[in-house]
Amino acid sequence: MSAAVAVAVTGLASAWAEKEIASAAVGAMAENEKLFGKGLILTVIPETIVIFGMVVAILLWLNM
Amino acid sequence: MLLPKQMTRVLIVGSRGALKDTIEVLYQLESAHLIDFSAEEEGFSLGAPLPESSEASQKLLKLRSLEKDMGIDDEDVRGQMDISQIEEDLTQTIIGLEAEITGATESKNRVAVRINELEADKAVLQNFQALPLNLELYRDYDSLKVFTGKVRGDPTAALKAAAPQSEVFISENGDFVATFVTKAQADEAQRALVQFGFTEVPAPLDSGSPQQLVAKTDEELVALRSSLDEAEKKLDNLKEKHATFVKAADEHLSIIVEKAETPLRVGTTEYTFAMDAWVPTSEMPRVEKAITERLGGKVHLETMEVMARRESHSHHEEEEEHHETKVEEIPSKLENNRVVKKFEFMAQMLSTPKYRELDPTFTMMITLPIFFGLMVGDIGYGIPFIILGWIGLKKCVTNEWRTISTLLFFGGIWASIFGIFLFGEAYGIHFAEQHHDMSWSSLLGVHLPHEIAIGGFEIPLGIYSKLHNVKEILYMTVWIGIAHLFMGFCIGFYNKSIRYGLKHAVVEKISWLMILIGGALLLLFMVDAMIRGIEVSLMDIRMLVAIPLMLVGVVMAYLGEGAGAILELPGLMGNIISYTRLGAIGMSKAGLALAFNTIAFEVMWGHDFHVIGSNSGDTIMLIAALGIFLIGHLTIFVLAIISAGLHSLRLHYVEFFMKFYEGGGVEFKPLKVIRKYTTEKNGVSE
Repeated sequence: MSAAVAVAVTGLASAWAEKEIASAAVGAMAENEKLFGKGLILTVIPETIVIFGMVVAILLWLNM
Repeated sequence: MLLPKQMTRVLIVGSRGALKDTIEVLYQLESAHLIDFSAEEEGFSLGAPLPESSEASQKLLKLRSLEKDMGIDDEDVRGQMDISQIEEDLTQTIIGLEAEITGATESKNRVAVRINELEADKAVLQNFQALPLNLELYRDYDSLKVFTGKVRGDPTAALKAAAPQSEVFISENGDFVATFVTKAQADEAQRALVQFGFTEVPAPLDSGSPQQLVAKTDEELVALRSSLDEAEKKLDNLKEKHATFVKAADEHLSIIVEKAETPLRVGTTEYTFAMDAWVPTSEMPRVEKAITERLGGKVHLETMEVMARRESHSHHEEEEEHHETKVEEIPSKLENNRVVKKFEFMAQMLSTPKYRELDPTFTMMITLPIFFGLMVGDIGYGIPFIILGWIGLKKCVTNEWRTISTLLFFGGIWASIFGIFLFGEAYGIHFAEQHHDMSWSSLLGVHLPHEIAIGGFEIPLGIYSKLHNVKEILYMTVWIGIAHLFMGFCIGFYNKSIRYGLKHAVVEKISWLMILIGGALLLLFMVDAMIRGIEVSLMDIRMLVAIPLMLVGVVMAYLGEGAGAILELPGLMGNIISYTRLGAIGMSKAGLALAFNTIAFEVMWGHDFHVIGSNSGDTIMLIAALGIFLIGHLTIFVLAIISAGLHSLRLHYVEFFMKFYEGGGVEFKPLKVIRKYTTEKNGVSE
């Protein structure tokens, strides 16, 4: 149960953060195509949140 | 290979008359990166374009408009032309071409306009064709009003009721009507017509039967269309004939204009010019020789400074600031061999390396495909990746696609290696039987070994199962993370030491290395204590080393970077945990593959599948199962490109590069001519 919550909530959180960043990044790219690399990186930064969630979930699951 | 090429700053001065020749020589040398002249210096002003620029620009303008008229694309060009051939009566050819093409385009446009007009007329006439009246009968009445137009239903009855004296003609299909009414009843008739959605179509002012007129128009249209075809063919012929010349001349003139406008980047006085440039130090002898020999003493080259990697530390703040701006300008010329070069674009997508730091391309070439391969870790996808990447490298021309192909090719190799030896699986199914899952050996009914013996060594085929050895895989990826970050800090140490000296480097980077090593030892201790459940004392040697290491590291980092360093501590842990995605993405793919495989095999052989063909399924089920298997694995394959590719890039850009990479350098762009459609046989290049 707690493992599921950990993954689900962090998943939602990173999705929300990525949405915000990606829309800004696309806007910036429209002005300067060279920003693609930077935009891409900024967009995937929040992915770490869900990785943390997953690690916590796995630890919980393993210690059951 | 690792550092950008060393640069020398040079000043080229000479008499103004020699400016053109100097530019020519520099273009041929292809190794001078010009620094734009800033108009600050006293007594100097910006140079004026060479005289040939304006004429060439005008010709270029004409050529470009011709190109647009003919619709020339890159694909229309056949081969290259020598510039001597282009220059031979360039002006005459352009004038001739202009006359020919403008004529052809104009006549084509005229015919096209006429065709449009006739087609509109014909559409109107076709309506009247359905009624049995000649066109002159629709007009010139004193007491009658005529309504002609389209309707949505038969208005005859309504018209008769509204205007009893009316005469109505309606087409056979009932959508076109002509009504003759007395002028007195016109309003009533019109109101009745509107009820039926009447849209007026006035009768043409011609006379005679509409059928004949349509036939006549058709004849005219046929003739016009053939002349339009002719005009188009003529233009196509012209295009076919002149495309190569036009494109080549365009390129030739563009180069002339570019060269002729170079003085705009140079400082001049009444009689002299001064040009500031960067030249790779290794090219200096060649450049010096060419300038003295070819420009015969009219131009002098002065070496200003061989740029060291070390930042000079002047105490005067203003001076430092001034120096900083100069440092920013030093261009980076990356030096990589053919294989490493393929990865350059990936590193530069983030930013061009500075002159005073390691070019990270080489490190990326090593670890990027490994990470990609680890996340895919399946020979069933690895081999298609290799093939796809190889085709991409053969066929693609744009940098973006070549980069993706490179990653797929090298990543595919590692995916296959990990797929065979580490995970031992293809399409999410293990080779040998493990944990009572389905495996290729049970499906095919043959025995596949867990390991093979090569020269006395037992090489395992599949150490870990992605879905059963979760703990081990996560633990392994954490260590990969620690190793990768260790490498990052080491490169950071090197960068700092060449830029600011050993002391700075030790305080800023060795401190973090100590924290990292301490953390790694602590991790070993914690795993023993908390996960393996081994009794360990707090006086364990690992603790005794780790704690002081970390403490000293933190103090040093604090001294070097200020309080911000303390805040970055949890960030380092986050970085390490971030590498667990290497395992997590592999797991998610294995989970997807398991799901698709189970569905496909159940469709084929029911719940009890063990060996292929053990239950004879019927053909339709077999096809359905194959479809599920193919689509499912194709989905995973495409997802693998996106997720494994993006995440391996991200691990480099975010976690790895942050430890050492500054970027923001200027790319080395020497004066150079790039010819695509032209050749220069008679040129004097060396």
